[in-house]
Amino acid sequence: MDISQNLEKNDRKFALPVDSEHKATEFRLFSMATPHMRAFHLSWISFFSCFVSTFAAPPLLPIIRDNLDLTATDIGNAGIAAVSGAVFARIAMGTACDLFGPRLASSSLILLTAPAVFLSAIANSPAAFLMVRFFTGFSLATFVSTQFWMSSMFSPAVVGTANGLSGGWGNLGGGATQLIMPLVYSLIHSHIGSTKFTAWRIAFFIPAVFQTLSAFAIFFLGQDMPDGNYVRLEKSGEKHKDNFSQVFYHAITNYRGWILALTYGYCFGVELTIDNIIAQYFYDRFNVNLHTAGIIAASFGLANLFSRPGGGILSDVVAKRFGMRGRLWTLWVVQMIGGFLCLLLGKVGSLTASIVVMLVFSVFVQAACGLTFGVVPFVSRRYVLSPVC
Amino acid sequence: GSIYSNSEVCESWFRFLLIESTTVSVLSFKKVIIISMEFCGGFVVGYLLFSCFAAACYGVTFSSLQKTLIVTASSPKGHDQLTVKWAFDQTFPAGTDSTYKTIRVKLCYAPLSQVDKPWRKSVDDLNKDKTCQHKIVAKPYTPSNNSFTWTIETDVPKATYFVRAYALDERQVQVGYGQNTDASKVTDLFDIRAISGRHVSLDIASVCFSVFSVVSLAVFFYMEKRKGNVTQKK
Repeated sequence: MDISQNLEKNDRKFALPVDSEHKATEFRLFSMATPHMRAFHLSWISFFSCFVSTFAAPPLLPIIRDNLDLTATDIGNAGIAAVSGAVFARIAMGTACDLFGPRLASSSLILLTAPAVFLSAIANSPAAFLMVRFFTGFSLATFVSTQFWMSSMFSPAVVGTANGLSGGWGNLGGGATQLIMPLVYSLIHSHIGSTKFTAWRIAFFIPAVFQTLSAFAIFFLGQDMPDGNYVRLEKSGEKHKDNFSQVFYHAITNYRGWILALTYGYCFGVELTIDNIIAQYFYDRFNVNLHTAGIIAASFGLANLFSRPGGGILSDVVAKRFGMRGRLWTLWVVQMIGGFLCLLLGKVGSLTASIVVMLVFSVFVQAACGLTFGVVPFVSRRYVLSPVC
Repeated sequence: GSIYSNSEVCESWFRFLLIESTTVSVLSFKKVIIISMEFCGGFVVGYLLFSCFAAACYGVTFSSLQKTLIVTASSPKGHDQLTVKWAFDQTFPAGTDSTYKTIRVKLCYAPLSQVDKPWRKSVDDLNKDKTCQHKIVAKPYTPSNNSFTWTIETDVPKATYFVRAYALDERQVQVGYGQNTDASKVTDLFDIRAISGRHVSLDIASVCFSVFSVVSLAVFFYMEKRKGNVTQKK
């Protein structure tokens, strides 16, 4: 009698059905209920804004490369810098989440990288361009806090879906930015009348402000765990305060983390590389104009709307029947197909064929990312994401 | 280039069709055959298609053009203006310029500014060539006394340039050219310094917003610490 009364009392606190850890056992996409669904929406929107900022430069490169006198090498290096900063930032982010909670960790990172986006507007040389892209890229570490937050809020049964959707819709930013930036640029250039070399600079304020506002939203509206924030829970003794070196040691000695890091590098890493070069590829190789190149490039990233979440959902569906083995096999098959399609993309020579192959390729490579994160939450019960990301 | 009379075009079309229909045809050629057959009587479309193909499909190559124009470029005031002069080179036989209808003058990248920049690559096929990306002026052709003063536009990037003028026939196909530099593009090049696109107001806004982000983070940490202390006291 007492037990069931207690359960009722706890359940009534939450809009969604929860398990013993107060993690939601259902995922309701169109709800904004605190704390679970609100955490979901805050995390994917902020992650989306980080992607928009990190990949804001590629669609405008035909203008930027003339303004800053960039060579092909400069552009390549900046692209690498944009995504490599995130490698170390993500490791640090995992630890930060364990110690400070995803809410503070992500809003801090977003606010610390927003200056890099604002300062992109005043870059004046290839070196400056590389620096701003490098530091802006650190914001991609919000992925870790997103996944961490979802794993704190959702139970194992639905964590694949939650992770896939939040990761996928965040990655969507890489596609959306290829549409947003040329649009903002042309609005500024034609309607406000700025010169080309000024218009792209002003355009960068849009992703920067968006990013800053999302950090504010996380801080004021979000909460770390279903029961509250870390600070409050730790001080009141409800949450055990972890020790950094212990946590880190356990993370890096887990061989599963390293294997997943390798496979993830070859699906997500490929996705980021394509985000960096695809607009220029179509602009230069097929002689389409900036707008068209942006639209084609956007469709690659926009497939994330359903493909990465699809991977996550597929992982959960397969797990119901075949368990972890099913998750792993599906990941392998989907990533292999993605790999073959990537090879094919380089071989085709006509515009139409390139676009078609690119679209199919995008679905598979992004689904592989979603499938990876159907596996990650199970690497360790104490759950540190750092090495994988 | 040579002049085709109307009947000669039609005749060459039919010869072309005969050859093509006896060999393996690509779909696009088949389309051309069908349309041309239907319209050869009043063969306007066929003629237009042919001229499209001449420029687009067969692609005029730069190496096939003769340097029949003399082009000079100078910057009298040394600031943001460029004066270009062009004339027909009289050392060529008279009648070479009989097909010239328009002159298109363009600003072209010197080899120095093409290094490691594949989007400015020089290619022999003029449809794929990216050497000359900025149009200065297009004027009807006259053999001499041509001059134009161009105010350098704001979107011209910082680079080393030369000027090239293409002579186009009535079908807008290149039939001759001239440039103010030599064949290896090393003499008489000039530099253009571009605008940076930066303004003081932009600089200030950038820095202010950046500072605001960092300061607001500090405020958040302070607020969070205070909340923690309040809970502890409880």
